Amino acid sequence: MNRLIPIILLFFTVSIGAQGKYLTKTGTVTFEASVPSFEEVKATNNNTTAIINTKNGEFAALVLVKGFRFKNALMEEHFNENYAESDQYPKATFKGDISGFSLDKVSNSNTKMTYNGSLTFHGKTKALNGETLNVSKGSDNNLIISGELKLNVADFDIEIPKIVSNKLSREVSVIYEFQLNKK
Amino acid sequence: MKKKIILLVFALLLIGAYFGYNYLYQDHRDIQAEVADYSVKASDFITEFTSDSETAQTKYLNKTIVIEGEITTQTNNSITLNNSIFCSLLETNPVSESQNIKVKGRCIGYDDLLEEIKLDQCSIIPN
Repeated sequence: MNRLIPIILLFFTVSIGAQGKYLTKTGTVTFEASVPSFEEVKATNNNTTAIINTKNGEFAALVLVKGFRFKNALMEEHFNENYAESDQYPKATFKGDISGFSLDKVSNSNTKMTYNGSLTFHGKTKALNGETLNVSKGSDNNLIISGELKLNVADFDIEIPKIVSNKLSREVSVIYEFQLNKK
Repeated sequence: MKKKIILLVFALLLIGAYFGYNYLYQDHRDIQAEVADYSVKASDFITEFTSDSETAQTKYLNKTIVIEGEITTQTNNSITLNNSIFCSLLETNPVSESQNIKVKGRCIGYDDLLEEIKLDQCSIIPN
């Protein structure tokens, strides 16, 4: 009997730990830094990991930078070698909290929620406060989190050479969508 | 004589434009056609990452790898080998049941949130 208690406890804690977590391994993150009338500077990552703890609204996402795919292969190479330096900084991460998150607030249509957190890319961390995202329930009982972010290239210590400076926007728009399934 | 020079300059320009265009709009890597840099067993591959993820990541990042392992989870566009290697497939998953397979893909890094190694542009190598 005495031996059983720790085992029962272990099961108990594991089930608590696993409860209320939704995750995806194939979330989408797209960024765009295009300038009108120049070639599109846009890439998509379809293998983003995202986890939310629905008990307290803790949210984390991880992007493997090499997984960003551009239409133009040379642009992809330059992005990895000169801007993101993905050999040195292979990951971009976000950690934060969705304020006042509760599953009861989530419906089939988009609910706007506010979050605070920090984003790390290219070895630099930027705090994001009071940003908003949309949360909704999907058709097969999953959670859909989506939104858009505006980021400045300068915040992440990325230098844009003069020669391409008029073809690249200083402000980058990041669009994300995660379909998280219950774990 | 003058005509010849003009013709020559024109030809050179054309060749230059051809190579310039091919450089700017070169093709993406074709992982399926590339010769693999490494060929490993899934269990050995995972051990390398769990013992030292930084070193393993530097070694394998952006490399074409063939991994032999057991399918533990699969969806219609991904396969997970030995619980910890997530392979995102180029085409719809052709495998219907769990079995030992060989997957060829590009390592994009180590996901420390889920403690998984991720590969993209994967294809299955028929036995």
